[in-house]
Amino acid sequence: MDRARVKAQLLVVGGGPAGLTGAIAAAENGVDVLVVDEGLEPGGQLVKQTHKFFGHQGFYASKRGFEIAKILKDKVKNLGIKVMSQTTLVGFYDDCAVAYDRENNRTIEIDYDYVLLATGASERFLIFKNNMLPGVYGAGAVQTLMNQYGVLPGEDFLIVGAGNIGLIVAYQIMQAGGNVRAIVEISDKVGGYEVHANKVKRMGIPILLRHTIVEAIGKGRVKGAVIARVDENYRIIEETKREIVVDTICLAVGLQPSVELANQLKVELVYIPELGGYIPRRDENMRTSASNVFVAGDLAAIEEATSAMAEGYIAGYAIAQDITGKDLSKEMERYREELNDLRRGPFGEKIRKGLRKMGIDVPSGGYREENQKDFGPVGKLRAVIECYQNIPCNPCEAVCPTNAIDTGGNINGIPHINYEKCVGCAMCVMKCPGLAIFMVQEFDEYSVVGIPYEFEPLPEKGQKVILMDRGGKEVGEGVVHRVMVNKKDKTHVVFVAMERGLERTVRHFRLPTREEEKIVCRCEEVTREDVEKAIDMGFTDFEELRRYLRIGMGPCGGRTCRLLAAGILARKLGKSIEEISPMTLRPPSIPLPFSAILRGDEK
Amino acid sequence: MKSYKICIIGGGIIGSSIAYHLAKFGEKNVAVFEKSYISSGSTGRCGGGIRQQWSARMNVRLAMRSVKLFERFKEDTGFDIEYKQGGYLLMAYSEDEAARFEKNVKMQKEEGLEVEILSPKMVKERYPYINTERLVLATFGPTDGHANPHLANFGYIFAAKKLGVDVYTHTEVEDIDVVNKKIMGINTTAGYFKCDVVINAAGGWSGEIGKMAGVDIPTTSYRHQIFVTEALESFFPFMAISFDGNFYMRQTKHGQFIMGMGDPDEKPGINRDVSFRFEREMAEKMVKIFPFLENTRIIRHWAGCYNMSPDAQPIIGCSKDVEGFCYAVGFSGHGFMLAPAVGEALAQKLIFGRPKEVEIDFLDIDRLKGKSFEVEGNVV
Repeated sequence: MDRARVKAQLLVVGGGPAGLTGAIAAAENGVDVLVVDEGLEPGGQLVKQTHKFFGHQGFYASKRGFEIAKILKDKVKNLGIKVMSQTTLVGFYDDCAVAYDRENNRTIEIDYDYVLLATGASERFLIFKNNMLPGVYGAGAVQTLMNQYGVLPGEDFLIVGAGNIGLIVAYQIMQAGGNVRAIVEISDKVGGYEVHANKVKRMGIPILLRHTIVEAIGKGRVKGAVIARVDENYRIIEETKREIVVDTICLAVGLQPSVELANQLKVELVYIPELGGYIPRRDENMRTSASNVFVAGDLAAIEEATSAMAEGYIAGYAIAQDITGKDLSKEMERYREELNDLRRGPFGEKIRKGLRKMGIDVPSGGYREENQKDFGPVGKLRAVIECYQNIPCNPCEAVCPTNAIDTGGNINGIPHINYEKCVGCAMCVMKCPGLAIFMVQEFDEYSVVGIPYEFEPLPEKGQKVILMDRGGKEVGEGVVHRVMVNKKDKTHVVFVAMERGLERTVRHFRLPTREEEKIVCRCEEVTREDVEKAIDMGFTDFEELRRYLRIGMGPCGGRTCRLLAAGILARKLGKSIEEISPMTLRPPSIPLPFSAILRGDEK
Repeated sequence: MKSYKICIIGGGIIGSSIAYHLAKFGEKNVAVFEKSYISSGSTGRCGGGIRQQWSARMNVRLAMRSVKLFERFKEDTGFDIEYKQGGYLLMAYSEDEAARFEKNVKMQKEEGLEVEILSPKMVKERYPYINTERLVLATFGPTDGHANPHLANFGYIFAAKKLGVDVYTHTEVEDIDVVNKKIMGINTTAGYFKCDVVINAAGGWSGEIGKMAGVDIPTTSYRHQIFVTEALESFFPFMAISFDGNFYMRQTKHGQFIMGMGDPDEKPGINRDVSFRFEREMAEKMVKIFPFLENTRIIRHWAGCYNMSPDAQPIIGCSKDVEGFCYAVGFSGHGFMLAPAVGEALAQKLIFGRPKEVEIDFLDIDRLKGKSFEVEGNVV
């Protein structure tokens, strides 16, 4: 019987950002490429990332992960690259590679000349009591359920780990309508970007440093968790143990490279903790100790998707150069420069150190480190940038139509704004992947702050909101002044009017919950705000107001609402209640069942 | 002295629609006079049905035009009036009525109206929650529907105001100034207003307003009672109505069932009191046909009036005896649903000399003088 046997010049294992870019770079140069990918569709982790990426404008920065996945998939499709989805490469045997097509439950034998391993990483697990209870998830699983399948696995979450993944998942859970009770982080500082941390802090989510999870509580499923402080040796301090009520525990404690296939291909593995543990040794063009085996992405070092894509391109070009003999050194150089920029800043320090152990030098420094001191001219509508870490990212600079923002010549530089040039358009607010830019304008009586907002429902002009500071503390009430809807990528800007002076404090808001709204009519759920709004519209006749809002038309017959609504109107008009509310109260005075009327006939 | 080109008496749906359409077609020198508040009369007390299934051909045309305007009401006025085209189920309980319905459907289809005849079995299959006992036949018009009358009334008034119309509420017209058979102005509780045209849109009080101008308006007002239940989950999208069964019922957007019937023993006059006999008779009748109502509770019961004309059709036009006196009255219980088309047609007649979309001459008062006339049968 004939066996399915497939040939490819380049076999790419893994269809995430590294694998797809590698496939694209090689295919663009005439290489025959086959991608084998485990997922339902290619894209890897990108397909479940709903946040915007950092990096160079032009190199996917400020695009959301799933949008990047779509761009890459379209390129792969247009280049005619073969992709086997739901297919796992189970082994590199000495005679061929074998893929297992899970959908059709069959194996496929593959002959190849080159391999690009882009197998990514797996999530690290954590040891604590009851960690096998249903309700304990890895961050990746939570993202898959929530962002790919639209299922929120719980209501109240504890997140373990304050790296970028933990912070991003926390934000996404809040967007999906869940509650994050706390993020615990065992070290003494947040590992992720400050701007990501700020996004969750201003929603009121506590980030507890030097804390960890001790135990999951519950029988059959998670009902809570015990958390505690740790000492400088990461030992639990017993007397600080406390319980919190959560139904889901989400572990975001790091990743480890998936080196299984690399090992089968007999490439040299080295142990470099800074890069994630055991990883394949490779040169600056991503070639391993085996000359036809390349690596890219998290398998090469635990980093992030943008660097994975740059590595993918480099590997793809290097392979194409080998196969076709074309000189692609310029292309490779371009992406090496991209990588150098991505790793140049303080967050690249670990990677630089790790790569140095492999003999690869990455330059550091050479960017602006000073923060902008001034807050801009009071009274002018202007952007305020609160981005104080050297992150490789420049969409704000690129999008500004008047060139008012600059990062000082290097993408890692702290952005500064020239207030003479800023025209207050808020484009940078909508573009910033870290949601770290706000609009501010002071007036005599009040101030307005424009806040990047990615939640549903969007508030409406005139709506009351609860104002929150950078730490999520509620600092007062504001009124929505204007809503700039960003149809394109959904980072809307909500301008909120507030008491003068609060513009330096308020960086977030939330909508009042139904319980907090001041209900006037319980039957029809009419709020004080609804009544005031209707009066402002012109419903100043009490009878018209009642009929417009349905006040008194519910089962209680107006007992709760009649006088309350009349009181609001009286105050607004400066009249007495008697003047405005000649009331007609209609029978029946309490709800009367048909059945009772029918039974009235019985003697 | 304040003066207007046109003074409209009555701030119900008819007066408001006329005002809105006048302003829309360019005549903004208009005022509306309402002796109480907007929607205080029959509009605010009506069932809110919007029906095109009529027995008189011209009524079908007028109603179909109204539906076109209801469909774009929100676009025109900015007001969401809870308009829902959930259909109208007309239920016949006698062979005679069934025969009339079949004849009507033929005519309605000629007019291009979507309408179908349903056997009791088909009604049961479609609406298992209706007891079809004694039902002979039903007709269903899917593009019929209902809306919130208060909101529609406010919608027209607010839109008219926006276009420049003045609205005087709590301002009663006490007399109409007619000199040499010509309108000169009106006397109101807010003073005298000079004007060229007075439009009588006074609903229940149309006869009295006619007298003020010396024009005999042959309308009589009768009380009609109606009540509403607590809210149930939404499952009843259409209006159910029967002429020989004497009832109508619909479920509002908020889930409440609103229902009523006519009372042949009602005495003429404005009467806003309500009778328990009405609740008793309704309960007996409605629970039989709609058994799910049995454990539902009535929460509010009120009364309004039908301003009846001799043939149960509205009287619309301008007087040949008094120059400048026009009227849109005698709607006989279906003014709400006709208001958009009537307001549009009368406004066009006044501004352009004749209506552009639909004919209203057949509704002139002259039809009622002496000759025999066709009585509209599809009225509860």
